[in-house]
Amino acid sequence: MEINFESRYEIDRTAEFIISKSFTRIALQFPDELLKDSTKVVSALKNKTRSLNTETSEDDRQVRFFVMADTTYGSCCIDEVGALHIDSECVVHYGQTCLSPTSVLPAFFVFGKASINVSSCVKHLLDYASKSEKPILILYGLEYSHVIPCIREELGLSKTESQSKFSVASVLCSFISPSKDPRESMEHPGLSGENDSNDNLSSSRTYRLGGLTWDLRQGNKIEDYLLFWIGSDTSAFANVVLTFNGCDIVRYDAEEDSLVTEFTQQRRILKRRYYLVEKAKDANIIGILVGTLGVAGYLHMIHHMQALISAAGKKSYILAMGRPNPAKLANFPECDVFIYISCAQTALLDSKEFMAPVITPFEANLAFSRGSEWTGAYLMHFQDVINSSNSEAHSGSEEPRFSFFQGGYVEEDHNTNDQAKNGEEAQERQWRWYKLQRKHCN
Amino acid sequence: MVKFTADELRRIMDYKHNIRNMSVIAHVDHGKSTLTDSLVAAAGIIAQEVAGDVRMTDTRADEAERGITIKSTGISLYYEMSDASLKSFTGARDGNEYLINLIDSPGHVDFSSEVTAALRITDGALVVVDCIEGVCVQTETVLRQALGERIRPVLTVNKMDRCFLELQVDGEEAYQTFQRVIENANVIMATYEDPLLGDVQVYPEKGTVAFSAGLHGWAFTLTNFAKMYASKFGVDESKMMERLWGENFFDPATRKWTGKNTGSPTCKRGFVQFCYEPIKQIIATCMNDQKDKLWPMLQKLGVQMKNDEKELMGKPLMKRVMQTWLPASTALLEMMIFHLPSPHTAQRYRVENLYEGPLDDQYATAIRNCDPNGPLMLYVSKMIPASDKGRFFAFGRVFAGKVSTGMKVRIMGPNFVPGEKKDLYVKSVQRTVIWMGKRQETVEDVPCGNTVAMVGLDQFITKNATLTNEKEVDAHPIRAMKFSVSPVVRVAVQCKVASDLPKLVEGLKRLAKSDPMVVCTMEESGEHIVAGAGELHLEICLKDLQDDFMGGAEIIKSDPVVSFRETVLERSVRTVMSKSPNKHNRLYMEARPMEEGLAEAIDDGRIGPRDDPKIRSKILAEEFGWDKDLAKKIWAFGPETTGPNMVVDMCKGVQYLNEIKDSVVAGFQWASKEGPLAEENMRGICFEVCDVVLHSDAIHRGGGQVIPTARRVIYASQITAKPRLLEPVYMVEIQAPEGALGGIYSVLNQKRGHVFEEMQRPGTPLYNIKAYLPVVESFGFSSQLRAATSGQAFPQCVFDHWEMMSSDPLEAGTQASVLVADIRKRKGLKEAMTPLSEFEDKL
Repeated sequence: MEINFESRYEIDRTAEFIISKSFTRIALQFPDELLKDSTKVVSALKNKTRSLNTETSEDDRQVRFFVMADTTYGSCCIDEVGALHIDSECVVHYGQTCLSPTSVLPAFFVFGKASINVSSCVKHLLDYASKSEKPILILYGLEYSHVIPCIREELGLSKTESQSKFSVASVLCSFISPSKDPRESMEHPGLSGENDSNDNLSSSRTYRLGGLTWDLRQGNKIEDYLLFWIGSDTSAFANVVLTFNGCDIVRYDAEEDSLVTEFTQQRRILKRRYYLVEKAKDANIIGILVGTLGVAGYLHMIHHMQALISAAGKKSYILAMGRPNPAKLANFPECDVFIYISCAQTALLDSKEFMAPVITPFEANLAFSRGSEWTGAYLMHFQDVINSSNSEAHSGSEEPRFSFFQGGYVEEDHNTNDQAKNGEEAQERQWRWYKLQRKHCN
Repeated sequence: MVKFTADELRRIMDYKHNIRNMSVIAHVDHGKSTLTDSLVAAAGIIAQEVAGDVRMTDTRADEAERGITIKSTGISLYYEMSDASLKSFTGARDGNEYLINLIDSPGHVDFSSEVTAALRITDGALVVVDCIEGVCVQTETVLRQALGERIRPVLTVNKMDRCFLELQVDGEEAYQTFQRVIENANVIMATYEDPLLGDVQVYPEKGTVAFSAGLHGWAFTLTNFAKMYASKFGVDESKMMERLWGENFFDPATRKWTGKNTGSPTCKRGFVQFCYEPIKQIIATCMNDQKDKLWPMLQKLGVQMKNDEKELMGKPLMKRVMQTWLPASTALLEMMIFHLPSPHTAQRYRVENLYEGPLDDQYATAIRNCDPNGPLMLYVSKMIPASDKGRFFAFGRVFAGKVSTGMKVRIMGPNFVPGEKKDLYVKSVQRTVIWMGKRQETVEDVPCGNTVAMVGLDQFITKNATLTNEKEVDAHPIRAMKFSVSPVVRVAVQCKVASDLPKLVEGLKRLAKSDPMVVCTMEESGEHIVAGAGELHLEICLKDLQDDFMGGAEIIKSDPVVSFRETVLERSVRTVMSKSPNKHNRLYMEARPMEEGLAEAIDDGRIGPRDDPKIRSKILAEEFGWDKDLAKKIWAFGPETTGPNMVVDMCKGVQYLNEIKDSVVAGFQWASKEGPLAEENMRGICFEVCDVVLHSDAIHRGGGQVIPTARRVIYASQITAKPRLLEPVYMVEIQAPEGALGGIYSVLNQKRGHVFEEMQRPGTPLYNIKAYLPVVESFGFSSQLRAATSGQAFPQCVFDHWEMMSSDPLEAGTQASVLVADIRKRKGLKEAMTPLSEFEDKL
């Protein structure tokens, strides 16, 4: 079932969007695997915008397209720095995305359309549903969002039928406009796209994860649901497994046309992350890896991490590094642990090959704020992490921390750095940060 | 029993010459706790209501249930000597009142860490040996440990009642048995020649050996009898004592002492004639209820019986009579007071063993003189769970100064380094407590030479620590204890409900505290691991964890996991090379097995990273045949910088080599911790850096390039050198009658064990079997053995060595490769090993 080119890349919709916002400089961001189609996309878009422009009989402003590839950071995020180099007004992003909010530029997303056998998928879903009493929540990879209406139909769901056994998540948006205030953009990540989900927020709790949003009926917890994931085993799925580690999850693999129920490997990841947190607790020097310059709130996050680390009486360095690998990180053997600040979907680096563990900001929060405990809950997004750390009640126990690696108590000395030394270090950090930035730009 | 108030007890604590700190040590089931109880019953400073046959020192329910001691328990005894009996005492003393701090320790080998902790805070040891079973493996182990700590031993030959009642052996035979037991013990002690401690061997004729029947509560030393007979024969006591042991024979017909048996039927050994026979006679008379004969005999011996006791019959009568005639407490306590050192005496020579710092500073001096006015030096040897769950008493010994309630102390943990702030806390002692049996009494302060428990420090001490006064910033800590067993059996624990994780973490922390040996760690996979010395030890620990430290929250435990080691059989078949990620640097390496015994020498710390290179190269050259120059080129030991693997520089004339040394060492530390087979530690491998080719520009040969490459080339060199797994092996000692031998052999065979020594105990129907048994196979071994021998055989397992598994882990289907696959699966690694091509590069 080959979906034709035009529809796969949503040429019409994209062109309409560009014209309607009257952008003239557009950056097209492709991941590596789609790069081969980039020229075709550009010419198709050019033709389409030209024809649309003439149709609306405005002055024939030339719309210019730029192809961006090999992004410095994860290809799921909008490369705002790259786009700003060419003064573009908007970024159109193709392929797998994390829908992380942007900080400067508006972004338009084309998820792509993966082929799927809808009836078979629904059959698997119904089979599975018949085995359990629990309601089922359907989540999916964004590349399958185009078939969701069909699946809804097949299941016989309509918007009014809220008593049904099934709930389906909807796509948050396919367009993000930036907000100047990072905090604000974090709480409302640009609900400006075509979003037809019902807005009865008063009676239910709304979840957002990886570009999906869904509501649960009042009184229900996410643990009461079975999660049904349509799509392949991507990092988006790994996120779902980690975040909702208390739920039963099955995955429908569209390519294999089969149901996958065995996730010991994913569950293991959670334990492994826990291990990394414990390991991080023993660290003295921490490298903050800046793995994004696009995701809204990243600066805020860096400051937050710095404050956290110095409050824990440890030292930190900031390193800007796109796509970390063992060789790059081994150049900083002083660092006992790295915090990787990036979008949710690139954040989990399995660090078996790395000399020092690489953890997420959420994990850093657990590791470095006194008295916080791992409860099994897992957060990926910056906004959640910052919110959670703000509400954290710092317990006043003076008992030193027990380290499982050293088999004894380890004191976290809060007064190791006197003021002067602190200043010196901050300067050094800033200098280093500057140098790395320069290097990065070159 | 002595009823005391805390104040009265506190008063005697000041007489440092009149204190005896001692532990009771023995093999399992030789009757330590029973013997201790008979002492406690007579002289224990406790409340009156606890009495009877209950083992006073086994305070835990499971101890009583299993009939074994698990935790060591301290108890204080009070004894007042008469002037007459102190007549011959030449040491310093303050009056006639004595305080004996006694620690009953477990005999099972799994709990020998408790013994170590007990020995540290005592100066003398009462070694209890079963008169029939003799010196067993655990007797030997603990005795060696005691002597290593400079603890002076005295011996008691226990379970004498078995001779008289069960076995009914005649005098000469019994003498031979006792003689052998004492000789065996002396053989061990003789190996410890210590000029400061002096002769530590024990001699009945010197009064350092007692004969006891713990169950019946009686005991004697030759002193007792010598006193009795000295006046009769008109010789002095010491002369009489010599006659009562050894080759001295007495013929009542001629009333003459001879040096050997004259052959006349009435000629008997002194011991038999004057000690054994009278006891035998009394016991026989009692057991046969020949009361008409008994009373005159007792009168002759000067034994007064109460009227109601005269009504007793048979065994209870015998028990009562013997207790009155030869009370265990008098004999044993007098022996301890006479022959074991006071803290004042013992600390004079123990200071060298104890203090880490310079032996001429004020702290060493204060310990040496046991000076109550000196700076505080206190060693916390263990943590004792308090009655309110989750809290602990810090239990230890004051070596110098005084510790008092409310005092601010410096707590120096095991990782403390003088001059640094690491593992150092200043906190105040909330209360100082002394133990009176099961009750604790708060006292104002405790002076040196005594044991003490402290409240309010448990949040800062994991297992042990040294305490000093707040201001004594120059003090060095007291040396850490060295254990004879190591935690080789591990289980992974997790909680049933994920949200109980904080409880589990807290529980593990408390568990780690409560036991000197248990180790709580975490695996790379995020599993919590509890490691103990043996199956029984782990079982007890997990029970404690769940019931006491986690408030009953359910935990899931995995099957016991044994850690393996990775090693190599031969030198690498070729020099392997790996390129750095940027392809500009090349490392060439070879792996080879270490010389036999070298890994053990590193384990023991005879060879290590902090040695003087000259001394190290001397040992390596003389004992292991190394080249003298090569021995100076050892770059590092690993893992953890002290492990039994090495990197050695074999390069000649390579540029920039020194610059990458640190990076190669970092890669080596990393690699030796997680070998390529199953990510187990490496052991006994020597990696030789044969050549390196480096980029001329420093930025291209930084750590980022070299560290991962060093790791890869180390893996490649190991894989090309016939990698093998090492498995841990226990030494098992089993004692059983001849009939059970068949069962023992068949169980051992099933379990891949092999017997290397089988010996009949002279004079007994018992056999002593020593065998090697892989730790992996040891789970369920004791229950199987019991089943196969109808409960007659009881094994004691101690970790002994690492043994190479002969099968090739790289060859599919072999035992080793199955094992590797299992380990990898458990650790959540890819089931197939990473192939050599991933690590080795082609030029």
